[in-house]
Amino acid sequence: MDRRKVLKLLLASSGLTAMPAEWVAAFRSVHAGLGSASAPRILTPRQDATVGAMAELILPQTDTPGAKAVRVNEFIDHIVADWYSDQDRVRFLAGLADVDARTQSLFKKDFVDASAEQQSEILRALGEEMAQAREALATAPRGYRGADPEPDDNFYFMFRQLTLTGYFTSEAGFTQQLREEIIPGRFDGCIPFEARTPSKSS
Amino acid sequence: MAATKFDAIVVGSGMTGGWAAKELTEKGLHTLVLEAGRPIVPEKDYVEHVAPWEMPFRGMRDRKKLLQDQPIQSLCYACEETNAQFFVKDTEHPYTTEPGKPFRWIRGRQVGGRSILWGRQSYRWSDLDFTANLREGIAVDWPIRYADLAPWYDYVEDFIGISGEALGLAQLPDGKFLPPMAMNCAELAVKQAMAKHFGGERVLTIGRVAVLTETHRGRAACHYCGPCHRGCITLSYFSSVNATLPAAEKTGRLTLRPFSTVDSLIFDSNTRRISGVRVIDSQTKAALEFQAPLIFLCASTLESARILLNSTSPGFPSGLANSSGELGHNLMDHIKGGGAKGILPGQENRRSFGNRPNIAYVPRFRNVKEKQAGFLRGYGLQGEADQEGWDRGAISPAFGADFKNAISRPGHWQFTFSGYGECLPNHNNFVEIDKNTVDAWGIPSLKIHCAFGANELAIRKDMAIASAEMLAAAGAISIQPFQDDDPPGFSVHEMGTARMGRDPKTSVLNAWNQAHDIKNLFITDGSCMTSSGCVNPSLTYMALTARACDYAVDQLKRGEL
Repeated sequence: MDRRKVLKLLLASSGLTAMPAEWVAAFRSVHAGLGSASAPRILTPRQDATVGAMAELILPQTDTPGAKAVRVNEFIDHIVADWYSDQDRVRFLAGLADVDARTQSLFKKDFVDASAEQQSEILRALGEEMAQAREALATAPRGYRGADPEPDDNFYFMFRQLTLTGYFTSEAGFTQQLREEIIPGRFDGCIPFEARTPSKSS
Repeated sequence: MAATKFDAIVVGSGMTGGWAAKELTEKGLHTLVLEAGRPIVPEKDYVEHVAPWEMPFRGMRDRKKLLQDQPIQSLCYACEETNAQFFVKDTEHPYTTEPGKPFRWIRGRQVGGRSILWGRQSYRWSDLDFTANLREGIAVDWPIRYADLAPWYDYVEDFIGISGEALGLAQLPDGKFLPPMAMNCAELAVKQAMAKHFGGERVLTIGRVAVLTETHRGRAACHYCGPCHRGCITLSYFSSVNATLPAAEKTGRLTLRPFSTVDSLIFDSNTRRISGVRVIDSQTKAALEFQAPLIFLCASTLESARILLNSTSPGFPSGLANSSGELGHNLMDHIKGGGAKGILPGQENRRSFGNRPNIAYVPRFRNVKEKQAGFLRGYGLQGEADQEGWDRGAISPAFGADFKNAISRPGHWQFTFSGYGECLPNHNNFVEIDKNTVDAWGIPSLKIHCAFGANELAIRKDMAIASAEMLAAAGAISIQPFQDDDPPGFSVHEMGTARMGRDPKTSVLNAWNQAHDIKNLFITDGSCMTSSGCVNPSLTYMALTARACDYAVDQLKRGEL
């Protein structure tokens, strides 16, 4: 269905309770065009594998896809290469090297070669340090609109921000895990969580 | 060869230019609308349904490109990854300010102007606003009162379609509303608590918003996708592109000329009228000229001032229609940056569904019945309530399947109040031509001198205190008041540079938005404002425009122009 037809239907209808997924697709057709899998721009294959493994550990495959399946590693590579400042890029890559250094020192292998339990131990240690970094900011000035100060230069915090963003803004993360819709078609102000409409996505 | 003579010329196709185009063409005038920017075709240019995964930066925007091309525009909340093209390139549109006095000039140059991007909140002024200058002996008195504008508010609201709730408050007159949008769980809780604690003095209502909640005049009801500032293929929110320009087009008397940058207006010292409009073709940079017996300047507060200040002649050496010396002066913008946020415990197992393009609102309650110590005038508060989302998981040390599912469910309800406060008119807040800076078309730019004064800063402080009080009354925890140093311009409610008034010696425009000095010149954008009120101003600009058009066409037909 093309956009003109959809528009006509919309103009003819009022009080929509739902919008067929097909209409959503028609609206978006001209803007589609996300590339297929591409080689990393800044991460080495080894770094890319480390990023993928860490991200999957944070947001694993469940009854919905995990971080690897939605290619969070590609998003992270893109941001580190084209969005981060030089300073943040250096910090991020150093943090990634540190992950392998920690795994080497504890288990005599790189992160990607470690067992799931060993990898989890590394993440727990990173998480504790991130919590301490946040703790150290307890008396730091607040940000815009009273925002909590965050440990923006902590590698693991940077990594988690990118992982969560990459995952929940992916098609599977958005439509399957969050069960959000681009065109909800209506607004309910205050309903039980379970009363939401089932996802219409594939 | 294309025509150069018309019955009327409208400079600008945004919020007020669109209204002037509609009114003048519907009253029979062949009208030329000059728009500096490109055409907008909704089906091609609107981007509201682009999914996050279709954006290369997933909504984080192309940071480096924005920093290079749009360092000022990208400070605006509405400038997103998909719609940065609706904002000007700062590199092409320089302006200067004094050291230590920043001003953020947010601009959109395209057919529809900033009406594509606006926040859509729509409130009437009251006589509390129109009489404020007179009562307090500040600046000059408005030449009109609420009764003059009320029928025109009715008129534009009927066309636009505004959803909202009638409250019966004298300081915020009710309009002709479409059904209000629903409140979410947190808003309902705060509303009830406020009703209990503030005895009707402070009330929380759903925003009055120019978004349709039912089919209205051929435009469809909102489908709650959320980001109106990226466009709306169903035309459900009001903009020039969505409503007024199509109405003007329908008359067959509209000539819309995009890529037409107005350089200056030509003054004929014999007839004492504007005889033509000098235009630079934005693409070819060719010099063009158009004539009409009636000129409506609707280029925006700062652009209209710039055009007039750039239109000098022996008769008007300091800018056209500037015998008063007030042109470019009395620049105002609502002060913002004050408010408070907090968490409302409870109702975590409930949620809202859909992306409501609207906020909750607390109408002005200061200096309404009793005089407030510390400052004149007042402010309205916008309330934004939502539930914590997945982004709360970044700072958590947790990971794995349980973590993934936990942060996929909404968390605590959080509520933020933030104010828009009245800014007093001040002759020392002004713009002038900066002869050393030109834009990409060679037109001299503005130097902006503007800073908030003690009254505005006192208002900002009170916003934080009052907001925290209301959150406390609602049982919120972790309450954080804030006072951010948002500079003028950042509310994007700039106004006042060609004010209306009764006396030609102290004002630029009369009660009909007609220049005191030049009978065939009308200015109906925000520059006409004599004071700023505290509500979002677009609805008032639109009502003033429709009223001025009615008067101008009547005068034209009587041969008075």
